[in-house]
Amino acid sequence: MKATDELIKLQLPASAEYVDLVRVTLYGIAAKMGFSYEEIEDMKVAVSEACNNAVLHAYGNHPTGTTSQAPEEQPRMEVRFIKKQDALSIVVKDEGESFDALAVARQKSPMHGKSIDQLTAGGLGLYLMQALMDQVEVHSDAGTEVVLTKRLVRSEDTV
Amino acid sequence: MKQPEKFQLRTETQEGRCIVYVSGELDLEVATQMRAAMAPLVELKDRELSLNLRDLKYIDSTGIGILVSVLKARHANQAPFTVEAIPPTIRKLFDMTGITPFITKQNQEQ
Repeated sequence: MKATDELIKLQLPASAEYVDLVRVTLYGIAAKMGFSYEEIEDMKVAVSEACNNAVLHAYGNHPTGTTSQAPEEQPRMEVRFIKKQDALSIVVKDEGESFDALAVARQKSPMHGKSIDQLTAGGLGLYLMQALMDQVEVHSDAGTEVVLTKRLVRSEDTV
Repeated sequence: MKQPEKFQLRTETQEGRCIVYVSGELDLEVATQMRAAMAPLVELKDRELSLNLRDLKYIDSTGIGILVSVLKARHANQAPFTVEAIPPTIRKLFDMTGITPFITKQNQEQ
């Protein structure tokens, strides 16, 4: 992060019911920065996909995310919004087992030119992130960290 | 975090046709509910099954994955399945993932 960057951080349960809260937060930040409606819609989908992955990792692919664990033991995820001069980066970090990003990436371009029998219901998340953002990075060390970046094209710059 | 209007599903049965209207946000949180609602309808082989998205505000890859599952199950049952009234923001995602030609009527008739 540069000195001029601004950070907004959310820490929340890694549960499907909180993903819409991340979307609402993203909307507020991106709208203030001057992103267009369409760009914000794109980012909403990409960020939700990253959060979905965090939830699925945390719960070993049981998506509804309800457990009988005590609150302090429940898996958490962290979403950092980094406001830059010319871009917004969103970092989604989970504590779950690292996932094989390369294996997921190989499933790209899911349905184009296929027959119905060849279609699969999964593997669309990372594909959508890459299609909707300018840059996508996946780091897997302790848990998985996905960095999504969208550039801000200001109208005065295009003169 | 209980939001009763987050996602709603309503089924309308006409002669020879079953239309499912979904509204709100179809995402990971409501995936189980959506799958459970669609399961019995997929088996109605003598009826056309349509999903109307007119009031759907948001869909994620989980939601698109459910459409793929329904499409495949209907195909196995040799029964028609179409998606209608697709809002532009959702249509964009369908086009990106490549599901559009499989679920829109126009293309099925070609």
